[in-house]
Amino acid sequence: MLDLTQGQFVKHVVTHPFEGFEDLRWKKSGSMAIATVIVFILFIQQLAYNRLYGFQYYVSYDKVFNIIPYIFRSFGLFLLYVVCNWAMCTLFDGEGSLKNIYIVTAYSLIPYIAAYLIGTLLSHFLIKDEYVFIQVIEYIGLGWTVILFISAMKAVHQFSFIKTILLILLTLVAMVLCIFLLVLLLTLFQQVLIFIFTIYTELSYRLRV
Amino acid sequence: MKSFIKRAAALAGATVVTMSLAANVLARESYDPYSYDRWGDAVSSQAGYVAEEFIDGQLINGLYEKVESMEGFDYDEEEWKQKLSLKEPADLFISYEDYLYICDKGNNRIIATDLDFNMVRYLDTFYLDGQETTLNAPQGVFVDPYNDHELYVCDTENSRVLRCDKEGNVLQVFTKPTSEIYSQDLTYKPEKVVVDKAGNVYVVVGSVTKGAVMYDRSGEFLGFFGANRVEATAEIIMNAFWNKIATEEQQARSVRATAIGFDNFDIDDMGFIYTVTQSSDVDTDTVKKVNPEGVNILSTLNPEDVTFGDHSPAYWSIYTKQSALVDIDIGPNGELNILDFNHGRVFQYDKLANLMFVIGGSGNQLGTFLSATAIESHDDMIYVLDSRKNGITTFRRSDFGEIVTNATNLYNEGYYNESYQPWREVVKRDGNYRRAYIGIGNALMQKEQYKEAMKYFKVAISRDRYNKAFEGWRDQILQKWLTPVVVCIIIIAIISAIIKALVKRGIIKLPKIQWPWKRRGA
Repeated sequence: MLDLTQGQFVKHVVTHPFEGFEDLRWKKSGSMAIATVIVFILFIQQLAYNRLYGFQYYVSYDKVFNIIPYIFRSFGLFLLYVVCNWAMCTLFDGEGSLKNIYIVTAYSLIPYIAAYLIGTLLSHFLIKDEYVFIQVIEYIGLGWTVILFISAMKAVHQFSFIKTILLILLTLVAMVLCIFLLVLLLTLFQQVLIFIFTIYTELSYRLRV
Repeated sequence: MKSFIKRAAALAGATVVTMSLAANVLARESYDPYSYDRWGDAVSSQAGYVAEEFIDGQLINGLYEKVESMEGFDYDEEEWKQKLSLKEPADLFISYEDYLYICDKGNNRIIATDLDFNMVRYLDTFYLDGQETTLNAPQGVFVDPYNDHELYVCDTENSRVLRCDKEGNVLQVFTKPTSEIYSQDLTYKPEKVVVDKAGNVYVVVGSVTKGAVMYDRSGEFLGFFGANRVEATAEIIMNAFWNKIATEEQQARSVRATAIGFDNFDIDDMGFIYTVTQSSDVDTDTVKKVNPEGVNILSTLNPEDVTFGDHSPAYWSIYTKQSALVDIDIGPNGELNILDFNHGRVFQYDKLANLMFVIGGSGNQLGTFLSATAIESHDDMIYVLDSRKNGITTFRRSDFGEIVTNATNLYNEGYYNESYQPWREVVKRDGNYRRAYIGIGNALMQKEQYKEAMKYFKVAISRDRYNKAFEGWRDQILQKWLTPVVVCIIIIAIISAIIKALVKRGIIKLPKIQWPWKRRGA
């Protein structure tokens, strides 16, 4: 029973929101490679959504282009979530390993990515009055991802529903804290660098005189 | 500012080619003409108007002779010397008989010239009830086009507005209203005046923020006209919220939000009054088009489309300031010529408030200003009065300006097809001119060349128009291809049904295909 390849498992998980991830865990299946590809597609999707959307819906400011925000919104946030979730789950006796969390999180993003990619594609065929179709597709994708996501967290840590929701909320808090600390760290390092640079300039002036 | 515009222009990389073409023509203007693209960034543009002459008092034919022949003239006396030229002129008005009225504030007189600057009238003494009276720092002048060209003068420091005939006989004096509506604590320093068709007189008074003081023909105070709205800043919203829950006593003690009064106005042939507000602190109602009921018509347009003066990126720098709009003038085709005091610029908009040209700048050269105070236009000319350079700069519409004006008029009248050629010409001369692309796109759309129209709307970055063109194009494609595609699908369905039926009955056999992704693996 359920002798599925890695690829087939992806399909199985996405189409079975309630037992899919349990099966995945039971079979100890799931592939890091596929998960990474999914995150990469997420990155592409973010780019497409901002840059390739139908002209009649959205015009992007094309005089400057910076790829860093897109990297952060896909890879950055994803990795941050995975790490924070793992960190929180150790406090809650969750059973998921870092690898497992990585895989299920990526898998659960599939409907979202697909819906928004379809929406981006459709935006080149529909006019403004028909935006509601795109919107419906996007909402369905988003809702599906939310369901998959909760189910994935529940399965990977073997938590109750309430505990899962709590974990997700705490993970979000941890993410905010992480970003705050990162910004703080960067600023401090900047200060240190400026300090060192000032000493260097001071010395070099004195040496010259 | 110039350096900023150059930088902004450099940003618009796609249009560099057309810019370098334009540069040869621009060379003689003493400022960099620019306009705004879809993002509100300044881009280099062609000059719509070219500065022609600078007319100071010496160049007004007849003024020198007139002053010289006056009683008690003494060349060595400073006061007389000043009278030979203009001194801090404050207002300009072109009457319907094509006379240019200059309100020479520093010399307390009104000078009228024809459009070639030959003096036709010199008014420094007025006759009120048989007695001579003089002006004291007059700041506004207006000539009633409907009623025998009667002259209205804001005698500012004497706190009165005079209505007089051509010879300077005062027919009527408007003074501070005694009504309770007009708070008696306020001073009455009339600055600008206009008169409408019905003979109602509107006076801008510096200390009044409720709008223009309005009199009827007989001189009776009617009330205030066309007040600005209060800008909805965070503080004001907060106060409104607290007032909702405060007691009446608390409300009485709280600070009342007061709108800033407008500073200048003009009236067009239809009786609409256009107001400008100089203050740089507010963004709401800096320019209004007010109908006789006091309703601002421009506020019914999409507020995003209607901005006046420099856009925020242009003054988002320590070198530049937000525009301070001091005067407005309505051109022959309903163009709005708006004067910016801070940078000495004239912004010309068409009647639907789309920016056409930006002219002028600050400086000492021809076509730039130190303290621009008043603007008037006549046919293809624009006259700008500078109260520190003490003279009038005349601008004449350039070839480019002529083409743009022609195209804009046709376009605004709805003659899209007719405006196609002029707009093409505009693009040829200035590739940064965004409205030309919209004009061409609309003309193409009327000819049902939707695919082409989409291209132009994309260049102009006009989403809504692109949407319409796209809809048209899609309909065309559907009309062309829907029937063949449906027929094809039906044919394929029938064929596959037949094959299936044949396979079922064993008449033909299909080879088994092993799809690679259907493999069941371990």
